[in-house]
Amino acid sequence: MSAPIYEVEGLVIDLYTPTVSVRAVDGSGFHVSPGETLAIVGESGSGKTVMTLGPLGLLPEGVAVDLRGTARADGKDILSMSPGDLSRLRGGFFGVIFQDPMSALNPMLKIGPQLAEQARRYAGLSAEASRKEAVSLLARSGIPDPEDRYDRYPHELSGGMLQRAMIALALAARPRVLIADEPTTALDATVQAQILALIRQIQKEDGIAVILITHDIGAVSVLADRVAVLYAGQVAEEGSAIDVLTAPVHPYTRGLLASVPDFRSDSASGTKEIPGIPPNQAQLVAGCRFADRCDQVEPQCHTRRPALQTVGVGPVPHRVACPVVIAAEGIVTHD
Amino acid sequence: MQRMFMRRTGLALLLMLAATALTFWLVTAAPGNVAALIAERAAGAGADGEMIARIANDLGLNDPLPVRYARWLGNALTGDFGISLRTGKPMADEFAERIPMTLALLAGGGVLALILSLAMGIAGAASNGGPLDRALHGLALVGASTPNFFVAALLVIVFSVWLGWVPTFGTAGLTSWLLPWITIALFPASVLARVVRVNLQDTMSRPFATTGFAKGLTRQAVLLREALPNIAIPFMTTFGAQFTLMIIGAIVVERVFGLNGVGAFFIEAIRFRDFIGMQATLTLFVVFFVSINLIVDLLAMLADPRLRRPRKA
Amino acid sequence: MKKWPWAILAPAILFVLIGIFSPWLMTHDPAAQDYSALLTGPSGAHWLGTDYLGRDMFSRIIGGARTSLVAMVFVLVAALAIGVVIGSFAGYVGGKTELVLISVIDIALALPSLVIALALMGVFSGANFDWMSDYWKMIVALTMAWWANYARMSRAVVVAELQQPYIEAARVMGASHIWIFSKHILPHVLGLVVVYASADAGALVLAIATLSFLGLGVAPPTPEWGQMLVDGMSYIEENAALVIIPGLALTAVVVSFNLLGEAFALQKVPRAVRGRLLSRKKAARSAEDVARKAVEA
Repeated sequence: MSAPIYEVEGLVIDLYTPTVSVRAVDGSGFHVSPGETLAIVGESGSGKTVMTLGPLGLLPEGVAVDLRGTARADGKDILSMSPGDLSRLRGGFFGVIFQDPMSALNPMLKIGPQLAEQARRYAGLSAEASRKEAVSLLARSGIPDPEDRYDRYPHELSGGMLQRAMIALALAARPRVLIADEPTTALDATVQAQILALIRQIQKEDGIAVILITHDIGAVSVLADRVAVLYAGQVAEEGSAIDVLTAPVHPYTRGLLASVPDFRSDSASGTKEIPGIPPNQAQLVAGCRFADRCDQVEPQCHTRRPALQTVGVGPVPHRVACPVVIAAEGIVTHD
Repeated sequence: MQRMFMRRTGLALLLMLAATALTFWLVTAAPGNVAALIAERAAGAGADGEMIARIANDLGLNDPLPVRYARWLGNALTGDFGISLRTGKPMADEFAERIPMTLALLAGGGVLALILSLAMGIAGAASNGGPLDRALHGLALVGASTPNFFVAALLVIVFSVWLGWVPTFGTAGLTSWLLPWITIALFPASVLARVVRVNLQDTMSRPFATTGFAKGLTRQAVLLREALPNIAIPFMTTFGAQFTLMIIGAIVVERVFGLNGVGAFFIEAIRFRDFIGMQATLTLFVVFFVSINLIVDLLAMLADPRLRRPRKA
Repeated sequence: MKKWPWAILAPAILFVLIGIFSPWLMTHDPAAQDYSALLTGPSGAHWLGTDYLGRDMFSRIIGGARTSLVAMVFVLVAALAIGVVIGSFAGYVGGKTELVLISVIDIALALPSLVIALALMGVFSGANFDWMSDYWKMIVALTMAWWANYARMSRAVVVAELQQPYIEAARVMGASHIWIFSKHILPHVLGLVVVYASADAGALVLAIATLSFLGLGVAPPTPEWGQMLVDGMSYIEENAALVIIPGLALTAVVVSFNLLGEAFALQKVPRAVRGRLLSRKKAARSAEDVARKAVEA
């Protein structure tokens, strides 16, 4: 794998609202390189979106954000960038696809001109050329009759079409990194598969880096080269998709994979749920955050924060933050 | 779309009819009033009950109410609004003289309110909680609380009495329009500025604003190009409501600055029991208000793309 | 309702208190004329000076507070009563009655309240209304101009509440109409309407003052701020205080009521944490961080 194009380390993000203070990201990081797809997996509230979009300043207004750590895009430090430079980076270097296209697109603006403007501003195309580019992007995203759709408003398209339009919008500036934040959650099952296939095709053709934020393990298995599993703002496990999905080590990852229903299995108990309730991220907790739901818990889990340890050999490091399982199963660490 | 237009217009016409009927009933319910006043004018103190009764009969004031209303309506539609009991001039003439003045006041005030409110609201949103935002909030609050006659008085005190920049009464040249326009515009501008500010804030926290940032736009750009179009409808609706309220400002301003408009005439009509004048002016007001509301509703329908082109597939 | 910034309510509360206790707060009889002290400035004897008839400004301002307060309360209570009754009735009964009442309400709302009040003052100038004093003409005119908005609001709430499942449940259990209305629906109506009225009070005070300013409201010698202002206009060059003092009083009271209304309205709009609150929260967070590190060390 080539050098990472978007990397984040030691990120701590606190969110403040009038009623509550939440630590959404608690000392986590990730990196993604051109041509590879990183899936960031976790339940709602695990901090996946905040961790990925936070360094870019793309969190909704109305919440005060306190962000510490390092973040680099194409080798440059983005946290100390001027606002103007950061804006250009957001527009031209990164492309973002949001979860619900119906609310993520401005109801008062036509779709086509937004694409054309991105192409004009970031790809340096002329007005005429950018219009053509916009139409071809819509076509490439699988939208039929793109010339007609160019002048439409969001409410005139179906959910699936809108998501394709948003993908086209994200690509219009010819970004080097594509961030897809739960791109299929708001869509029907059949459309979901199509969208995922589209993303994979785009990556193959353009060689961009893709970050897929999702809680859908199925999507992960289809698209991802690497996976990072997040729990309560901390990285529980990360590694290549094969390693993490077929040989998970962390109790949370194991629990997560066991809870995915497999319609092919015959057994009466199809899924096993993880006991306990989701973590309350308004409080800081010492030690491992998964401790109170874990079946392997030991006293040290409540007082020592588990560090990520490298297990297994291979081109892509497989790292796990659970000394208990590592010790219990005699897994060899390579740190 | 067309049918919505037609429906709204039809309702508006019905409303005008009903409102004018109601005001007609209220104002001219006691026929004796009008006849008595006419008699007074003609014969002074010598007007006796017999004379009043005769006048009432001649003018058909004893006919049943619907007949009188129909008669009045028929006249009104041909432009005959009767003769003012106070000035003795045909109402149509009074209107011809006075409507331009009031319209000029309303137009200038409206434009000023539009510009001021947008400027204040957008500047506040751009500052987003900073000192400018809070200062403008305070300014809007005071502007929406100060009685317009006090504003007029203060402006006169400062600019006419103390500084002597602007003539106190009448309209001589453009500068003498300034104080009346500012007085009329201050309240609506303040209310509208808050509407703009609050709606912009609400819009900026919606998902598509984040998409705007993701497109690489600066905050100003997101504010002006993504958020602003979304406040068009609440803005227009409030502007329409405030514009109709401006007639009260016009009434006060015409009194304070001694201007010759419809508002001043209305007050005089009330004070001098000029029922014909009152009725005619109220009709004018009703037509004005209902029309403005209709126009605003229609414009709001046009402004929303979701109503312009209904969903296809 | 979040924690109340009591500073917001201060002028309004002050207004009410001054209005209630005004006879005891006055230093002079507000109608007493003193030709030896015309248009004087503030002094030991007259804290805010005197007007063009030698009347004490301070006492007149205090008296004006009472005039406005009393009139405002009369109108609000009457308009609320009429509006809530008509609106709730319309919403509850439904059918043709509702349609008729809605039309009446819409017509009443076709003109701004003050214009309706002015028109009614005009109607009341007719001979058959001579038995009413000017003051009561104003009260009635304003009441009839103000009720329609509350009627519309009440009806909307009633219609919305009637669709709630618990109403159906109550009916099945055999509750009478009156019971359902007074126990279940009325509280919702009153809740919304009273909130609105508290902010509306400011507009009403302005309306009373405007009517008096135009000579169609409270007549001298009863002190009223709008009327004091219009009288003072003639003396603007000699002593602007006659105009400024009542004007400031009016503005202060209305600002307070408007702040009240805003405080209610702004609860739904998301506002970011900033300034001192933010620093405090951050400090709390760092403290928690340090504590946690100590445990994990």
